[in-house]
Amino acid sequence: MNSARVLYHMVRADFLERVRRYSFLLTLAGALWVAYGVAAEEVWIVVGSGYRGVYNSAWIGMLMAICCSTFLSLAGFYIVKNSVQRDTDTRVGQILAATPMRKDFYTIAKTLSNFVVLACMVGILMVAAVAMQLLRGEAHSFSLWKLWAPFIFLALPTMLLAASAAVLFETLPLLRGGVGNIVYFFAWTAAIALGATGLDDPTGLQLLYRSSRQTLQAIDPTAGERFNFALTIGGERAAHTFLWNGIDWTASVLLMRLVWVGAAAALAYAASIFFHRFDPARSWFKRRAATETTPQMTAAQEPVASSHVTAAHLSPLPQTHSGVPFFRVVAAELRLMLKGKRWWWYLVAVGLAIACVFAPFDAARGGVLVAAWLWPIFVWSPMGSREARHATESLIFSSSRALSRQLPAVWFAGVLVALVAGGGIGARLLLAGDHRGFAAWLAGAIFIPTLALALGVWSGGSKAFEAIYIVWWYVGPAHHIPGLDFIGATAASSNPVPYLIATVLLLAAAYWRRRTRMAYA
Amino acid sequence: MQLTIENVSKRYGRENWALRNFTLQLGPGVLGLLGPNGAGKTTLMSVLATITRATSGRVTWNGTDIASDPDGLRAKLGYLPQDFGVYPNLNAVEFLEYLAAVKGLDAVASKRRIDELLNLVNLADVRKRPLGGYSGGMKQRVGIAQALLNDPQLLIVDEPTAGLDPEERVRFRNLLSELSGERIVILSTHIVSDVEATATDIALISQGTLVAHASPEELLRRVEGKVWEWVIPSADFNSARQRYLISNTARRSDGVHARVLGDTPPDGAQPATPNLEDAYLFCLTQHRAGSASQPVEVGAPA
Repeated sequence: MNSARVLYHMVRADFLERVRRYSFLLTLAGALWVAYGVAAEEVWIVVGSGYRGVYNSAWIGMLMAICCSTFLSLAGFYIVKNSVQRDTDTRVGQILAATPMRKDFYTIAKTLSNFVVLACMVGILMVAAVAMQLLRGEAHSFSLWKLWAPFIFLALPTMLLAASAAVLFETLPLLRGGVGNIVYFFAWTAAIALGATGLDDPTGLQLLYRSSRQTLQAIDPTAGERFNFALTIGGERAAHTFLWNGIDWTASVLLMRLVWVGAAAALAYAASIFFHRFDPARSWFKRRAATETTPQMTAAQEPVASSHVTAAHLSPLPQTHSGVPFFRVVAAELRLMLKGKRWWWYLVAVGLAIACVFAPFDAARGGVLVAAWLWPIFVWSPMGSREARHATESLIFSSSRALSRQLPAVWFAGVLVALVAGGGIGARLLLAGDHRGFAAWLAGAIFIPTLALALGVWSGGSKAFEAIYIVWWYVGPAHHIPGLDFIGATAASSNPVPYLIATVLLLAAAYWRRRTRMAYA
Repeated sequence: MQLTIENVSKRYGRENWALRNFTLQLGPGVLGLLGPNGAGKTTLMSVLATITRATSGRVTWNGTDIASDPDGLRAKLGYLPQDFGVYPNLNAVEFLEYLAAVKGLDAVASKRRIDELLNLVNLADVRKRPLGGYSGGMKQRVGIAQALLNDPQLLIVDEPTAGLDPEERVRFRNLLSELSGERIVILSTHIVSDVEATATDIALISQGTLVAHASPEELLRRVEGKVWEWVIPSADFNSARQRYLISNTARRSDGVHARVLGDTPPDGAQPATPNLEDAYLFCLTQHRAGSASQPVEVGAPA
């Protein structure tokens, strides 16, 4: 009983702390946006040769639930992957560490707290599902059970899994930062792909696949031979409809879903094994911060005071400070960006830069450049948020021309990284006289750091850029999708104009936001 | 060189006034800004350091409103905030070089200056170690060094001695005294001994308003004849504390030696020489009694 009370208060406090933040409203707004996308038929599932289900309770419930367990399990992970970090930042963790709190209690409480946040998003879609059926009016019968059962049995277990994965990632030193954000994206992609291989997947896609195929075969016997299954965003609409009455929630189906709940519990428990309990000596970040060799100095190691130096010995500075070249500030920002990167990081970056020059052109443009502009993701991602993260805002913002000099210097340093990392391709395009290709390459080189800067300034952290960039990079440049390929990885997919326009808008947004953060521009 | 604060108010949210009609005029010297927690000291520092904008009123630096030319002040400003961070992967030299560039300082001159500052704050030996490995006191010293980077005419330091050991605290006090000749130094703290050692002027702030602005000598004069040393048996101490304003106590073999503030001494109390802590407590208590409109006579039995 006492344990339950402790757990309840840990979850409650964490949840209240979150919901009282402005970002929680944005989270709910995001869920509402997804709900609107589904209700407005921007997102739908097409099965067989162009079929969709009649918008009855079963189909709408399943459609919304699948959207939750696919899209929201990706976005939700990035939203909640900060609960342990927040306790570190607020220093509440140190207080908790001095209590009899058990490590597994802590990670389970954090998992549950994450889950409640994600469940709130699911709740919005549950309400939206009711509204959607009433608005669509395709089916006259209404069944709350059929509408909401997919949420309960599919979406919520997936959210629990994402919630526990977020805690596990936060406790594993290697996955705590940006690397974890990328690893999760590929793990999520693999989980979605799992559904397409016929295996039970955490999102529940496979259940819908099997059930809809069975139903469709009864209507159209040839449907099974050329059966397609696609969760579509803004693609071709279904030409036909079929009546689908939902999944039969048998014991074996529920057991399979329970397996995923068990997997989530296992992840939450596993997280407790790696949880550092706010011990600075076990904190990867602290050790890395001290370049992994310098533990925090003790009083005995601190330099001993000597009294022979006085303020009177300070050299006077030249009176005019206005002539400092902008590029000195750029160099300082560049050094700050690259400081702390290990030798192997530079080795790979140089290797990719060289490959951009010497690899066969098509492979270099469509493959090496794509990699070369993914590699510095953690150089770009702190842009615009470094000052907030390290609490140096008051030092920087009280400096003269902080807005007109420091912010552009950060941006320029980020652009320089992109130009150097993929410079070989730009030079080859220019030498080949491919001006359109060069423009696309240049647009990419300035768009990427601009996106990082704008998202950093607006979100106050690096995660937004890391999450959005990796998804965009995977869908656009890596798959050469026209319209989404912001680097011009192929001649067919390159289109620089929208990205140049976006760059200007993002720069303006970053400037405006920073300006509002400062009392005086 | 003059900093003028005219009727400055700062409101957070709809009702929470951190500063109310604060007016002060400052010239070269060290101003000790004293006040209890939540008095508005840090808000005032932030307004003066151009970090936050006043809701009303204005601040002028040498006659120019800082709202119209914030960079004019920033170029001459050294600011050590109460809470600040460092970039953990940089060492002290790199961090100061970075800030020197951001502040727009000449490269060659700032290099020399950084060397001198690191010597001054006793970090020369660890200059090449990443800041992530520094202790709290060492980070504070880096903060002090960065505040002095641009040879500021206006130096604002908010709780600068927090985290410093006694030896470093004394060094810092001496440093402030040395720096104060041709500058305006604003030292915000609730450690009265820091102010006692360095301040040429004192501003007492409470509930966002200026309670007193005077030299330390003037403040001390206000409590002359109002401080008493009273020896009471330990058993009676709690009841005495309910009835009198006590600024300090020490347990001795003959009982508790209490410093009592008030116009009328308790029976058997002897006159004592006032110190700044007595003056601070006396002024604050008077102000609170006045703002609460309660006719409380400090020192009189309740």
